[in-house]
Amino acid sequence: MDIQRLKPHFPWITLLVLVTIVGIADPSFLKPANLLSLAGDIVPLFIMALGLTFAIYIGGIDLSAQSMANMITVVASVYLAPLGIWVAGLCILAGFTLGTLSGYLTTRMYVPSFISTLAVGGICFSVAQWLSGNRALNMDATQRNETFGWMIGRTGVVPHELFIAIGLLAICLLIERRTVLGRALKAVGAGELAAAASGLNVARYKILAFAISGGLAAVAGLLFSVKLSGGAPTIANGFLLPAIVAVLVGGTPLTGGVGGVLNTAIGTLIVAVIRASMLYFGIAATQQQMVFGLVLIAAIALTIDRSKLRTVK
Amino acid sequence: MYELKAVEKKFPGVHALKSVDFSISRGEIVGLVGENGAGKSTLMKVIYGAYQPDGGEMLIDGKPVRFGGPRDAMERGIGMVFQEQSLITNLSVMENIFLGYEDQFSRFGVVNWKAMAKAARKQLAKVKLDIDPRTITSSLSFAQRQLVELAKVLTLEERVQGHLVVLLDEPTSVLAEEEVKLLFKLVRELTTRASFIFVSHRMDEVMELSDRIYVMKDGQVVDVVSRGAATPEAIQHKMVGRHVDKEYYREQRQKPYDATRPLVELSGVDLPGRVHDISLTLHAGEVLCLVGTEGSGREAILRTIYGMRTPTKGTLKIKGETVSRLTARGAVERGVGYVPRERKIEGIVAGMNVYENMTLSQMPHYARMGWLDVADERALARKWIGKLAIKASSEYADCGNLSGGNQQKVVLAKWRSGGSDIMLLDHPTRGLDIGAKEDVYDMIREMCDDGVGVVLVADTLEEAIGLSHTIVVIKDGEIQKRFDCVPGSKPTLYDLLHYMI
Repeated sequence: MDIQRLKPHFPWITLLVLVTIVGIADPSFLKPANLLSLAGDIVPLFIMALGLTFAIYIGGIDLSAQSMANMITVVASVYLAPLGIWVAGLCILAGFTLGTLSGYLTTRMYVPSFISTLAVGGICFSVAQWLSGNRALNMDATQRNETFGWMIGRTGVVPHELFIAIGLLAICLLIERRTVLGRALKAVGAGELAAAASGLNVARYKILAFAISGGLAAVAGLLFSVKLSGGAPTIANGFLLPAIVAVLVGGTPLTGGVGGVLNTAIGTLIVAVIRASMLYFGIAATQQQMVFGLVLIAAIALTIDRSKLRTVK
Repeated sequence: MYELKAVEKKFPGVHALKSVDFSISRGEIVGLVGENGAGKSTLMKVIYGAYQPDGGEMLIDGKPVRFGGPRDAMERGIGMVFQEQSLITNLSVMENIFLGYEDQFSRFGVVNWKAMAKAARKQLAKVKLDIDPRTITSSLSFAQRQLVELAKVLTLEERVQGHLVVLLDEPTSVLAEEEVKLLFKLVRELTTRASFIFVSHRMDEVMELSDRIYVMKDGQVVDVVSRGAATPEAIQHKMVGRHVDKEYYREQRQKPYDATRPLVELSGVDLPGRVHDISLTLHAGEVLCLVGTEGSGREAILRTIYGMRTPTKGTLKIKGETVSRLTARGAVERGVGYVPRERKIEGIVAGMNVYENMTLSQMPHYARMGWLDVADERALARKWIGKLAIKASSEYADCGNLSGGNQQKVVLAKWRSGGSDIMLLDHPTRGLDIGAKEDVYDMIREMCDDGVGVVLVADTLEEAIGLSHTIVVIKDGEIQKRFDCVPGSKPTLYDLLHYMI
């Protein structure tokens, strides 16, 4: 069997193998209730990874996603009281705007995205510290339940986060497969020069990709703060690495152009299983990032399209 | 001394070398000619070790050898003087000459620059270049760099036992006539130390310099001609495989253009760099060919009409309307289509299928409020696959896997299906086999019949002459001469060359 033809199927095969292994080690893992709550817990990370997919799909990266989510938890906690439900709009707008800024820096100022988003992430982190006075904030429990309680409840055994995740996934999938935007992003990722020579406004589409990434990181932050009923400038630390891992093991390589949001959904599930299995196999929380670091390196090495790279610096 | 026997090389979809026999003896200068895509570059790459042959054998002094890479070849005395120069421009001349071989001058990792300079001077003397070896390479002229490159290859002399084989890939393409004479004189003198393989598009030069000429066509050596044994026309005939006749370029289908309908008018256009004072007019039904050497400014002019470069002076009119801030998007909306030279990089998006590529420039026509109508797109692709006889398994086939000719058809279909009536074609037949080339020629004539204006940068001068209504010769960014090319009284190669160089 040809390895190249098998390659697109690696992600779900990996997922299946992992689930089987963990299932054999601990049969209770496979109980539907357990699987559902596992999936529900990973939703904020998934939403962040969903946004990151757009940045990576065009061959860029968004390192600001985690700091963005941090900042948004603070923003949401601070402004829930005065703004009520409108705080959601504020959060998404902030994410979208800062994403646009990253995109602008990347496309118009020619700052590589890993630097521009790192810088914007620094700004976000600092805003979060300043706004929170560098301490953990709590939301008013009643108000949170009234405004955003629908996000985190359960219907039967199904956590509501899952509906949000599926809804966002469906929207992103439609954008990717059925819109001019999605097609343009694919062209930019697979052959930016050809896209430009076809008259596409490449810069605008790239900016949009970063804006979407920022917007979804904000949604992730909002959901996370609602779940925890509060916010802090470092509360979402530890998200970035698994989120990037989710995109890459899902099959969207750093070089962009292939894969997509459905791949990221599978990638996120893989991350969820790896996380859960670390609990079963007794790996301490402090050691988890090591595992994700190793998985990330392996995922990059396996997925990257070397024919697109002339030199790596 | 150096010999190839029945060498084969295959790439996915291309049989690049078919049982090629080749030999060169001590002190010999061997010419290598063929059309683009005939297999010259592949053969050169096999000789200097960049490609490993799939079959056949390679012999040096009768003993079989195998190269893992260019460095292996160099160890055996085979060096290449690159056409796209391989010198690193921000290093000094001596650093370039000994790049990768600094060990001989270094102790504990510290380089003795004096010793290197002395050794470099010795190498530069071989090519009669009197410059300070500490000079930064970027400050040299092109001709000087070429000589440095040659000097770099000649360092093999001290390193390697035995005789050298030096490949010269299009060494004269950007040299002035005087410089070419000097280079040839030098090469003849150096035959005491090395044999040379000389590749050039200029038949007269190949015939002047070479002792024997290998003629390649479609991956095969079709003939080996000794000095003085054939006329340039006869060799040309062998390269193309038939007489380069009117039929080939569809001259019988060339109709007068509509001089009352100017599509593109450039007047007094200056571009950043050296393109200066360009004025030309493209009419409906006209093929206007820009002729000049590499770097003369042809591509820059095409890109200006396509809005990818902005003039610093002068005006650009498209269909009578003066456009001041043209973008590629704006050009496309005004009916301009661009077929870039780098087909695989700028022409098609590998990884996207046929319909996605075809509608890339015209997605708004296939979308409502940003939503694509994929069924419509597929119908379009199927129509054009049939119309242009594109060999693709279906509209879902990845364009990256199509052959060059079919990729080019997809690119042309992209613009024609969107109704572009100003076509900018940059080397549209580069790397295509003869059948695919003829398809492209047919399509150009059909476009003209439909009232499309074509600005063409042709792959060869013959192609330029054969296809065009008008030829504009450009040298160093300025227009030298305009020729009318009415069938029957077209300018000759020599008419054009006179103004090009």
